[in-house]
Amino acid sequence: MTVAAGIGYTLLALGPSLSLFIAVIAKKPFLILTLLSSTLVWLISLIVLSGLWRAFLPFKTASLWPYALIILTSVAFQEALRPLFWRIYKRLEDMLDAVADRVSKPRLFITDKMQIALAGGMGHGVAHAVFFCLSLLTPSFGPGTYYMEKCSQMSFFLVSAIIALAFVTIHTLSMVIAFNGYAEGNKVDQYIVPVIHLIAAMLTLINLAHGGCIISIPLLYGMAVVTLGHCGKMVWTKLAENRSRQGSSY
Amino acid sequence: MDQNRKPRSILETLGEELVRIITPVSICMLLVVILVTVLNTHSEGSSIGPSFTTIATIAYSESSSDSIWDKLKGALLNSLVFVAVITVVTFLLVLLFYFRCTKFLKYYMGFSSFLVLGFMGGEIALFLIRDFSFPVDCVTFVIILFNFTVVGVFAVFMSKMAIFVTQAYLVVIGMLVAYWFTLLPEWTTWVLLVAMALYDLAAVLLPGGPLKLLVELAISRDEDIPALVYEARPVINSDSSPTGDVLQRRVWRERRNTGSALDENSDARPNFNPNTSPVTNSNTTPGTYLSVGSGENEINLVNAEEGQVFRGDSELAAPLIQHRINVRMNSEEDASPSENFALEGIGLGSSGAIKLGLGDFIFYSVLVGRAAMYDFMTVYACYLAIIAGLGATLILLAFCRKALPALPVSIMLGVLFYLLTRLLLEVFVVQCSLNLLMF
Repeated sequence: MTVAAGIGYTLLALGPSLSLFIAVIAKKPFLILTLLSSTLVWLISLIVLSGLWRAFLPFKTASLWPYALIILTSVAFQEALRPLFWRIYKRLEDMLDAVADRVSKPRLFITDKMQIALAGGMGHGVAHAVFFCLSLLTPSFGPGTYYMEKCSQMSFFLVSAIIALAFVTIHTLSMVIAFNGYAEGNKVDQYIVPVIHLIAAMLTLINLAHGGCIISIPLLYGMAVVTLGHCGKMVWTKLAENRSRQGSSY
Repeated sequence: MDQNRKPRSILETLGEELVRIITPVSICMLLVVILVTVLNTHSEGSSIGPSFTTIATIAYSESSSDSIWDKLKGALLNSLVFVAVITVVTFLLVLLFYFRCTKFLKYYMGFSSFLVLGFMGGEIALFLIRDFSFPVDCVTFVIILFNFTVVGVFAVFMSKMAIFVTQAYLVVIGMLVAYWFTLLPEWTTWVLLVAMALYDLAAVLLPGGPLKLLVELAISRDEDIPALVYEARPVINSDSSPTGDVLQRRVWRERRNTGSALDENSDARPNFNPNTSPVTNSNTTPGTYLSVGSGENEINLVNAEEGQVFRGDSELAAPLIQHRINVRMNSEEDASPSENFALEGIGLGSSGAIKLGLGDFIFYSVLVGRAAMYDFMTVYACYLAIIAGLGATLILLAFCRKALPALPVSIMLGVLFYLLTRLLLEVFVVQCSLNLLMF
């Protein structure tokens, strides 16, 4: 529906990421590189998944279980990659500390580590938004629009942009929670991330039903808010105890 | 938060060189993608520009009614012709450089920049004006175009302009040439890209390759090769001590980029590194170390992965530094960048900034532009692949420390990701997201 609408949908899905990028990530080149690499890794995981599923697509059936299976396998695969990410990050952290020592700069602060996790998560989120939402937005830059019959209240582009926004939030924050969980050995944090991811992905299955998007979108945003709250609380407590530890060491 | 009083963490400076070269590459690709989408959607029915006979289509003109096998054969033929022409021209360049006809090369490069900016740029501007019905008359158009072109030739030709202007014009030249390459027929473009990547590999690494000869000639004479190169703004480290400034200006020797040469001058370091070798001593003279070159930081970081710290022999050679600075000043006048679109490569400039040949810009943008003609999903995938290839090439450079071509890794990754996306990913993603299934 014209260029303005197209840009609007794009910003709807990626607006908060853009502001986060400009505010936090753009100033630190290392974070930009982290973002690009995590986007690449997400893309590769997506390609592997599509390679696995290519033989069975496109689905002719309208039943639930093939889609559920796709989602299960995809989420499982991506969550399996997260501990791998963590291990790579640990090695990277040691390297960075070594370099910092050599150039006599301070070692990584706790905020630095969280920022790296944030950049990694945002890479995943941006990749999700780009491949699931933006790449389909091309027709919206033209003169027409498209409505799905299963979700006829809003245009397809709007719905997918809104869902993409929720997922971007979830992806971005999950990485911070997960890294914190791995760092502290906190089982709750470690397991809550795959669970949130799975629940959110399963919620989108509701979209297959007629009028399902009215139910699933608020629930999805509920999940995003839960993730946001959990992450915020975790970061707050961690920073507070760090500050108190620093304060007591003086 | 007491951010102001906190010392700057290492995250803020690491990887800055890489980001400074990724940014213009990304901008060039973005501009080409925008041009391709805008101009191709508008001229859906009409023919695009003049009938396109160039060196690249001289052997075979693709038409959509041919079979796949015919198209492939024709594309191979086209690419062979093109690569052959490029090889001949590069050998000619080596010959001219050998006979020290640098002035001639410089003027030729300036002339071709004029052609690119004036005629190619003008023609694309005409396409845009026609498509958007932009009201402008001939005289104004000619005046503006002429001014634009002349400023561009000066910016690229004589390196005394503001660095931002030079960089901007180089990106524009790369964009214009890349756009014209995307007008080639599809199969020809893809096979041509692969052929150029292979040629790059051969020309730089094989003993008889023209680009290898060029690099060796330039090194033996300690001269600059005339070529169009993009030099990223050098990273000035704010912690450097005043005495470090002199060293800072002359970090890498003049082993400039040449065609497809990812280069490292390992022998320049011993000459000016005043820091003594052991890593532990670096803490005592941080200022000088930092000023010696942010490029070195990155290389050292990469070396740290291997557990080795590259430290040249630490002879402080002040007269040598002075001499080198003079050499650089003198050679800067007559060794200004000039053109040969066949020259690609990454090198390290005189101030430690990364230099990337314009041919790399062009072929990366051609790949992404061609991907844009299919769909945007392929654009994103190819963009990520190319950036990953660029990063990988730089890391390989730090390990191998000799002349390396910059095209092959990125192009191969780009083509691979294009095929994978087009064949595998698209069906999967479209299937999922059309049903609003996301994960």
